[in-house]
Amino acid sequence: MLFVQLLLGGVQNGALYALTAAGFALIFGATKVFHVAHGSAFTLAGYVFLYGWTHNWNSLLSCLAAVLVAVAFGVGMERLVYRPIQRHEGSFFTVFVAAFGVSIVVQNLVGVFAGRGFASIDTPLSNASEVLPELFLADVFWVAILVALVMFVALTLFLSRTNAGVALRALAQNPDLLRAYGLSSSRLSMLAFALGSALVAPAAILSAMTTGLNEAVGNHVMLLSMASTIVGGVGSLRGAALAGLLLGVAESVVLVFLETQWASAASFLVLFGFILFKPSGMFGAAVAK
Amino acid sequence: MIAYFSNLATLVAIFGILAVTLNFMVGFAGIFSVAHAVFFGLGAYAGAQIALTVTPNPFLACAVAAGIAGVLSLCLALPALRVRGEYFVAASLGLQMVALTLFSEVKSLTGGIGGLTNIPRPQVFDVEVGVLPLALLALGVLLWAIHAMANGSFGRTLKAIRDAESAAEALGKPVAVAKALAVAFACAGAGVAGALFALHMSFVNVESFTLDQSVLVMAMVIVGGTGTLFGPLVGAVLLLSLPSALSFLTFIPPTEVGSVQQIIYGLAMTLLMVFRPAGLLGDQNKGKSHA
Repeated sequence: MLFVQLLLGGVQNGALYALTAAGFALIFGATKVFHVAHGSAFTLAGYVFLYGWTHNWNSLLSCLAAVLVAVAFGVGMERLVYRPIQRHEGSFFTVFVAAFGVSIVVQNLVGVFAGRGFASIDTPLSNASEVLPELFLADVFWVAILVALVMFVALTLFLSRTNAGVALRALAQNPDLLRAYGLSSSRLSMLAFALGSALVAPAAILSAMTTGLNEAVGNHVMLLSMASTIVGGVGSLRGAALAGLLLGVAESVVLVFLETQWASAASFLVLFGFILFKPSGMFGAAVAK
Repeated sequence: MIAYFSNLATLVAIFGILAVTLNFMVGFAGIFSVAHAVFFGLGAYAGAQIALTVTPNPFLACAVAAGIAGVLSLCLALPALRVRGEYFVAASLGLQMVALTLFSEVKSLTGGIGGLTNIPRPQVFDVEVGVLPLALLALGVLLWAIHAMANGSFGRTLKAIRDAESAAEALGKPVAVAKALAVAFACAGAGVAGALFALHMSFVNVESFTLDQSVLVMAMVIVGGTGTLFGPLVGAVLLLSLPSALSFLTFIPPTEVGSVQQIIYGLAMTLLMVFRPAGLLGDQNKGKSHA
């Protein structure tokens, strides 16, 4: 039963990882920006939700504020940091260092203003009940899976059925041709950042209800999203989401054999293995050296 | 006061070694590693174990540390040969996280979270020597070696690989060997820095070898200017004197000093990248589109 319990816990976390990973993959695929500050959007969204909740805002309002802050952060990064660097042909590493700097700033600002250490909230959703003998499940499990599924269906429909979605996919494949057809790649980049960052908000809110948040949670989210994007195969949203789910499950199930401290090492070992032996990931096209 | 400054100078020299060796990898070979603290840590544990169990001779400690870090640098060289750019950064992040877990879990060699304590002072022929002259010596030797290599054929080969790998390969340059050697040299240097750090602090634990430390060293290189000889040293001096400078600002509550310091690091990294991507000493016209 312990195994099933861990497996279900892993699926719950994995569903949330899948959302953040899909956001990262969407941004990286469309704009080729390695958005290392993705985790900061998660931290900010989570803490805004916590703030709203502890100040007795309407829960819908808290969620909305969380989404808005995440989107504003993503779009702000694109406009104020990535765009100026790309304008003078900065290398990918320039982008990486700048984004890493921002995530350090966000982590410490949150630490100063919201306090350090774990913060979480209790909702009726997070009370676990025994569904089978020795198997405990909270309602938040179903919420997490439902939210992840709804977001994916919505995202897939958006990318395949609407003009803006098709244009986003075109931007990922051939930005020059896109501009030749008179579409604005800068507005589409902003759209990619807005959408990608919005995807972390539900994950951040649900994490606040389950595992809790701390000021450094963004690092973990960023590393996992990055790992999932690479393991899943760059350019494949489905791959990233699936890899996020798998890493979540792996992190949890590995506890059957090993102690807690090894959990994250296990997922990074998987990442390391993929980069060495199959850098194109599970669903990606071959990577040029 | 003298003790304070000699401590600061020793740390500057040790981090200077870290920064100039990382700069060799980043600036000359175009290998963007964010796992430099791993090899710093390997050197520190190796040096500490030598001093604790064999002899407090600092030269032996440094040699063994350099050897171990150099050999294990294969973990970094392998992905460097396979992938470039974002993928390599991701691989080095992965290596950093795995190594950190190993450092805190392989308790028989590293002492776990508690670390290794009571490391003896360095002695040469039964005479106790300070770490500062040793660190300055090591820094001087490394700077000279990097200067010599940068202007020799090896440095030129590396720069060629950095700027156009396929072209370098087409001209018959031994790409794989050159990359592996560059990584091994830089990591061995980090190992020496680690051994000196262990001897200086006479205590090491896993907290000195985290991702934050790797990023701090990276920030020194970036702030000073990648690909310059003395830029990383300037970066090391600036970033290490920041904490002491902040302690004069009494209006910051002591509990928040660490955070304020981190915020300044972070802001400096971001603003420099946006407005002056080649660093303080770097040539602003050269090196805009590396990698």
